[in-house]
Amino acid sequence: MALVGNIRDFGLSDFLYLVDRGYKTGGLHLTHEQEMALLFFEKGKLVMASRKPDDEKADLLVRLGLLDQAQLDTARQAFIAGGNGITLTQVIIDQQIVDQEQLQTGLMTHIEESVYGLFGWPEGEFRFEQNQRPAADSPTMPMPVSVENLIMEGVRRIDEWSRIKDRIPSTDMIVKFIDQPGEKAKGVKLAPEEWRIFARINGKDSLAEIAQKTGLSDFDVCRIVYGFLTAGLVDVMKRQRSMAGARGGQGAEPPRVKKSLVNRIINRIRGM
Amino acid sequence: MQTVKMVISGAVNAGKTEFIKAISEIEVVSTERRATDDTKMIKKETTVAMDFGRIAIADDLVLHLFGTPGQKRFDFMWEILSEGMLGLVILVDSTRPETFRETNRIIDFFVSFRDTSYVIAANKQDRPNAWSPDELRLALRQPPHIKVLPCVASDRESVKNILLELLYVIQERSED
Repeated sequence: MALVGNIRDFGLSDFLYLVDRGYKTGGLHLTHEQEMALLFFEKGKLVMASRKPDDEKADLLVRLGLLDQAQLDTARQAFIAGGNGITLTQVIIDQQIVDQEQLQTGLMTHIEESVYGLFGWPEGEFRFEQNQRPAADSPTMPMPVSVENLIMEGVRRIDEWSRIKDRIPSTDMIVKFIDQPGEKAKGVKLAPEEWRIFARINGKDSLAEIAQKTGLSDFDVCRIVYGFLTAGLVDVMKRQRSMAGARGGQGAEPPRVKKSLVNRIINRIRGM
Repeated sequence: MQTVKMVISGAVNAGKTEFIKAISEIEVVSTERRATDDTKMIKKETTVAMDFGRIAIADDLVLHLFGTPGQKRFDFMWEILSEGMLGLVILVDSTRPETFRETNRIIDFFVSFRDTSYVIAANKQDRPNAWSPDELRLALRQPPHIKVLPCVASDRESVKNILLELLYVIQERSED
């Protein structure tokens, strides 16, 4: 079943997070006015991105200067001879027509250019077709790409408070590292300003305090932390105790209920 | 007579009224029924005050179900309704990702300041293009221990299941 929506309401970085954490496989179709984009994911990682139909064909490799036409023709012949279950990319590597790293780097640049521009779209319909895969002769990445860095770069381009405030409603919120960022943290490349904030995260200081200590504006700190948040590196939380007090204290705690009371309600609902 | 309260919340058109109607033993009391702002675009009639339902548990115990108004201008009522509540059901229209942001705001409101027992009901699972509970968990950034459950608010059995799952959460946290 397709997931449909508009990136105005459910941002691209949020969708990439969903694809990443949900280990989704499928094709993400995006349209905005006359523009289109198609991104393919395999178990949460990006394998192909295109902004025009021509980029979904192997001729892209020639246009990018990764292969010449003769090499592509050779690869195509071997691909056809190879039968089902093999991809053109695999043929190119197996036959050593192009070095894997060279192919990866060349296509990575293309993917980055294709995806980064999408973060500038103020709106656009999206449709995610689960389990849709690119054609076997498409110019796919030899090694699927983690989306964390794409998310970080996308968030660097956010220049509006409204989106950030969805996740960070106040600069009084505390930032803490998630318990096990693990592999996620390893792949993320941070800019110097991001490192300055990253190094200040201690689970005690609020965003306002981090802004004060780093000399950065509240907006910059919130935008950068929003990036960490979206990439799944940190979490933000409210200062529970003081905020509860500020809201009237006595009503802040839920009533303690007896198990016997809950059991009576459960039995009644079950019997309805 | 002891009364206990559960709150049913969610964005406009999430299915709160339908949810309470499906399980309440009394005709659901909706205190006002005229949409006056942009909700008209979504729904001809929407709940602008609140819904109230009731289930008699025993002669000495009754469960009240309160549906919160979905519109932002009635936010002030959320705090009033949440006082002393036993638990909270957050309803989400699984077919409308444009409401997920608002849903997050509602969750944030109810659970940030109180240690509230809650479950998320992924409503309208019978519709095409409904996001699955797993997808909603990721979209709403809910941790693994929070239950995100499939729901069809017009179906009494489905509503019963949501309430029971919430009660199991409350049961775990209750005292002997």
